[in-house]
Amino acid sequence: MDEKIAPQLEELTRALGDLEKTGIRTEFDKLLAYRVPPELAKESILRKFGGKRKILKVKDLSASLKNIEITGRILDLGEKAIRPQEGVQESPSRLYTGVLADETGSVMFSSWKELPGSIGDVLNIRNAYTRLWQNRIRLSIGEQSLVSIVPNSSIPPLSELSESPAKKLIDIGAADFSVSTVACVLQLSHREVLVRGKQSKVISGVLADETSRLPFTAWVELPGIDIGSLIRVEGAQIRMFRGMPSINLVSSTRVSLVGPEEAEKLAFTFESAAKEPALLKIEEIASRDSMFDVATAGNVVSVRPGSGIITRCPECSRVVQKGNCRVHGKVEGIRDMRIKAVLDDGTGAMFVMFPRELAETIYGKTLEEAEQLMFSDISKDAVYEDLRRFLTGRYLAVRGNASQGEYGISFVAESSWVPEDDLAVRAVELLQRLGQDEEDSGFEGGINLA
Amino acid sequence: MLKREVAKRVFAKEFEACRELEKSARQASELADSKSPNLLISPLGLILNRVFVVGVLTELDSIGTQNEMWKARIVDPTGAFTVYAGQYQPDASIFFSMVRVPIFIALTGKARIYEPEPGSVFISIRAEEANVVDEEIRNRWVVDTAEQSVDRLEAFSEALEVGYRGEALREYLLERGVSEEFAEGISIALERERFPREFARQLRASIREGLKALDFEAEGTAEAADQKEFVLELLREMGGNKGVDYAAFVDSAVAKGVPEEVVEEVVRSLLAGGQCYEPRIGIIRLVG
Repeated sequence: MDEKIAPQLEELTRALGDLEKTGIRTEFDKLLAYRVPPELAKESILRKFGGKRKILKVKDLSASLKNIEITGRILDLGEKAIRPQEGVQESPSRLYTGVLADETGSVMFSSWKELPGSIGDVLNIRNAYTRLWQNRIRLSIGEQSLVSIVPNSSIPPLSELSESPAKKLIDIGAADFSVSTVACVLQLSHREVLVRGKQSKVISGVLADETSRLPFTAWVELPGIDIGSLIRVEGAQIRMFRGMPSINLVSSTRVSLVGPEEAEKLAFTFESAAKEPALLKIEEIASRDSMFDVATAGNVVSVRPGSGIITRCPECSRVVQKGNCRVHGKVEGIRDMRIKAVLDDGTGAMFVMFPRELAETIYGKTLEEAEQLMFSDISKDAVYEDLRRFLTGRYLAVRGNASQGEYGISFVAESSWVPEDDLAVRAVELLQRLGQDEEDSGFEGGINLA
Repeated sequence: MLKREVAKRVFAKEFEACRELEKSARQASELADSKSPNLLISPLGLILNRVFVVGVLTELDSIGTQNEMWKARIVDPTGAFTVYAGQYQPDASIFFSMVRVPIFIALTGKARIYEPEPGSVFISIRAEEANVVDEEIRNRWVVDTAEQSVDRLEAFSEALEVGYRGEALREYLLERGVSEEFAEGISIALERERFPREFARQLRASIREGLKALDFEAEGTAEAADQKEFVLELLREMGGNKGVDYAAFVDSAVAKGVPEEVVEEVVRSLLAGGQCYEPRIGIIRLVG
């Protein structure tokens, strides 16, 4: 047996360094204990830990990275006991969680082993990985990760790192969890919700600056603040909801009104921020993880299956297939109409979802009229086919929210229209940019553009 | 992650001049993906696979022997796209089996290259989805495509002027705000294209002619519009959708008081604008 594993271990040591210290040997032995052939065990370990280790800064982290090295200061550290799953014989383990920061940002981490150092220390972590947890990127430190304290580090001191960075709304993303910003209140509404069996008041709305807009939620009262107020927010928490960052104003957040003098120096006013968003290229939308309340335009290059009349579960609104809900089984579904289309402007492509009201407007048929079509035709896809004939190739502008998903950008339209920009004016501008070409001026002719 | 591939906007003249982009020329990150599409590269450095075109469907042939196969020609102001749809493109095949030539259509598809022997290259589009559209959508496509082509022409001309090559050129372009993909494309194109200046000049001229030929409702003097409308009406009356002998048409228009050069001008702009075409030499026929 040993004769078989020795060369494999040797190769692993060459590729990965000290096997005992990193726990790789344990991993290897575990695979062997499951009767995995040594050769295959080596390969799978190399796949898991091998490759070039990437040294990253916090801002470069993304979901599902493997074998990364990162250095940061511990901003926060806590631990909790994890109850073992039933049937698993291991003793209850502890999970250590906290926040790690460098000069580019901060990230939450969780570790299955006790970490050296405490709040304020700088750690160097090798062989860590990342994953998504509650829509946030989380740095995971596993058994095989190598963690050491860096005594003299150039990472900024705790006081500097724990300050919430002041950011423009467009720069706020999944990597942030506490930020400061100056923005104006575009929308505001009060609701009562049940939180853990208790009635709580919650304020929700939209904030805007010259760069972008973001939704916000306040779990505290906001005296003196209304639509149109310019506010400074310090230490707000960022939550991710459906791939979109949302600003949470909590008890530790400081919210203050911006004085008139300072307001004059801002790059935006309530009027400018409240304006309809300008049309962006899809390329610009694609370059971000998510964008709230933006507008773009392009051709409908494809109408996707699943468009047309659908049936939803009355309990959970999931789409019902053949009278069966994935969760609630056989249900009496509720009819609904929607359009899923690919919008493409030549710089980018995105999946756009038009809910019923918009689908009815664009299609020019109500759900009831579409149902008539469905019942009068032998093809069960009559409405989908009709939608394709009607929509494919058309040019549409949409306004709504965009987020990156598994298949690229998905966009939920809140409004849609046919843009009426002046093609003739654009054509004249283009002719000017093209300039004159001596050789062609001879047989110039055709119709002069005004 | 399999993202939806962008449908590039490109004029027929540039599309026809595309050549295969060898996988080795691409960046390592793309190389890693075995599902990466077969990309083409244009003389101006546009890297593409999926395209979206809007133009006049002027020819449609059923060429399949055992299986159904459609060959179509779509004309834009600079040239023509050759399009194929067979049994593996059922949506497009059904569309082609029902559509009547000539008509404005919008089509997405994948670029295909066929090189039976060195030096003879056929570029075509394998259709994915197609639909009938109106002239407004066609005009918008021409303006959108012209805008993106002019952007690229400007970046390309700048690249020609600075005289850098390879990595230095790529970095220079990136600094000028050119997208990563296009900067890569330009530096590859400059390595392989023999007459880049000449092609850019020709494309420029084609786009200019194409834009001039567009028929926007509210443009031109009222008189010119009236004359044009008259000639168009006469053409409709004489030939319907069957087509009319050009010489006979000119005679008839002159007899009705329209100067010959006006008739010629209108017909030329109709031809260039894709509102009519020549099914045979000397015969003109209205679209739509």
